[in-house]
Parts: sequence; C-alpha cells; structure tokens
Amino acid sequence: MTVDDVVLAASGDTAAFERVYSAHVPRVHGLARRMAGPEAADELTQDVFVRVWQKLGTFRGESSFGTWLHRLAVNVIVERFRTLAVKRERFLADSEPVLEVTAAPVRARPDLAMDLDAAIAELPDGARTIFVLHDVEGYRHEEIATMLGISSGTSKSQLHRARQTLRALLTQKRTAV
Amino acid sequence: MTTGIDGRERRRGPAADDPFEAGDPLELAVARLKDVPPAADLWPGIQSRLAAAGAPQRARVVSFTLPQLAMAATLLIAVSAGVSWLALGPRAGSVATTPQPVIRAVVEPRDTQQPDVQRATFADAQYDAAVADLERVLREESERLDPQTVMVIERNLRAIDEAIREARAALDADPANTYLNSHLADARRRKLELLRRAAGLSTTGG
Repeated sequence: MTVDDVVLAASGDTAAFERVYSAHVPRVHGLARRMAGPEAADELTQDVFVRVWQKLGTFRGESSFGTWLHRLAVNVIVERFRTLAVKRERFLADSEPVLEVTAAPVRARPDLAMDLDAAIAELPDGARTIFVLHDVEGYRHEEIATMLGISSGTSKSQLHRARQTLRALLTQKRTAV
Repeated sequence: MTTGIDGRERRRGPAADDPFEAGDPLELAVARLKDVPPAADLWPGIQSRLAAAGAPQRARVVSFTLPQLAMAATLLIAVSAGVSWLALGPRAGSVATTPQPVIRAVVEPRDTQQPDVQRATFADAQYDAAVADLERVLREESERLDPQTVMVIERNLRAIDEAIREARAALDADPANTYLNSHLADARRRKLELLRRAAGLSTTGG
C-alpha cells in the first residue's frame, strides 16, 4: 500500500481501497478482537473499514494515515460499546461501582495455554476496554475518559484492577505449565 | 515490537501517565502481543457494503452550530462595545474628547446599497494599504494615548483579527458561503473603523 492508494481510494477506487484494507486489517482486527472479543471482531472490523471508506475524503494528512485510521477504528468500536451499554446497562459510568474483575474464572483445563490475549478476553467489558486502550494502544487516562464518557479516576481504578487480574492469570499459567 | 497500523514498527505499551512498575510481567507480555489477519477473508463482505455506503465524502461541509453563531455574535458585540468605548469616552482626563465628529462617525449609516457579499470582495490591496497606514500612525502616536486606551484598542484588534482569520479559513473550505463572506466583510470593516478611530484619537491628542 502506498500513499497513492489512499488518494485513489478517496476518489472511489475500490481496488486501491482493498490494498489499504490488506495493509491495515491485522491491526484493526487485533484491536477489535481485544476490545470486543473474538465473536464480534469480524463484524466490527468490517464496520471500521466501511466507515474508513466513507470518511476517506476527510483525511487531510494532518497526521499519518495509520494514526487517523486507528483513531477512527477506536471510535467505531467505542460507539458500538455505547450502543450495547444502553441496552445492557452494564458498561462503565461514574455512578457505577468498579466492575468486579478479581473473580476471574479458573480455567477448566489446566493444560490450556493462557497467553495475554486469552487473559484479556477473561476481563469484563469495561476493564478490558480500558486495559487495551491504555496499556496496549497507549491512550492516556484523560483521552480514555473522554472517549468513554467516564472520569479519569474511574479509568485509573479500572486499569489497576485489570492489571491485578491479568497478573494473576499469567502467574496461573506459569504455574500450570 | 509490532508492525503498527501505519506500517511502522512501534512498541506496544502503556501511556506515559500510568506506566508499568519495573519488572512487571505484563510489560513483556504486552510487548509480545501480535496482530494477525482474521481467519476469514472479510474483504468480500466489506466490498458488498461499499456500494451501499456510497462514494467517500469528497469535501468538508462547513456548518455552524447555534453556540458558534452565538459566539460570533458575542464577539461582534464586544468589538462594537470597544469601538463605542473609544468613541464615547476613554478615561476622563486621559485624552481630550472631541465628541461631535466621533458621534457623527458612530451614527454614520452603512452603505446599504451594496450587499454584504460584495463588500467582501473590495480590493485587498487597497484595504491592506489603509490598514497598514493606520497601524503605522497608531504605532507612532500611541504614546499620546492613555495606556488603558491602547490596551483596549489592542485587545479589540486581536479579537477582530481572530475573527478574520477564522472566517478566511472557513471560506477556504466553502468559498460560496454567503454568511461567511458577510462575516468576513463585516470583520474587515470593523477593523478599519476601529483603526480609523484609534488613529484619530492619537493624532488629535485623544
């Protein structure tokens, strides 16, 4: 993929957009899988690229294309969470208590390798989202708070609990091997 | 390290506002995370949705929200207040007031024969020369004015310049927008008016 592909795609060239897709799909899919779980990752990835297609004309080169696309991907995924949260009333809000993340289930099969990706999948929605955004993708608490409509304090406390749980799960894995 | 979304190598890790503690096992685990393509080919599904989604957006549509319009109106009111303050009475005793010509200038009717949109297109060179000339006079004669008066003039000029800059930037994206043209013309007229009055105050000793 080249910069020309982005320009061509913005003019409506789907072949160029397929090259853009091929270059970026691993990262977008990885982001969607970690934030929303493997069952939702494919659909979210498709949603992201359809949105990228729609918004290509608004990319003004003020940041790298990858940075722009990544931010858009995060927005699409967070939007989905917000929609689901309204329905399920279980996502983060300042008024809600910190989610229970310490009672992570012990895996039924001790021989099953537990890598970090699998451990992340064990976290509740809110804690998982914050861990991925902060510790994997490098967003600051303030940015996360703005994206999710929560306070920075909630983001910090959720991250703290998520890290504790993940350390425990990784230790569990090491002792199980 | 992992290949970033922008095709460059990047290290995964936490934001600097809350780093891992030294030796935290999570640090290495995060750094080792890998991105792999999805097991299924998602492109056909995306391609089928692109047609329904329509072509990519071509141009940025400039629009103004009610708060933005309110802010613009507030700015104009503030500038008008500054102009009136200059015209009707800087601090007593600091400058000699000559109310008659100033008041006449305030009530002088605007040229209503020309629509605002046309006023935005009056010769830039002529306008710039007039502004530069008045700014020079003001600079040279500002010592005659009370410092508070100079401060008010400068503050209002900054506000008008900001309004002009924003209007020009918005017009770059939407050159035919009547409101923006009118807004720009109005801001330029106000700047000229403010400079004329300020220069008049300074050359007449206030």
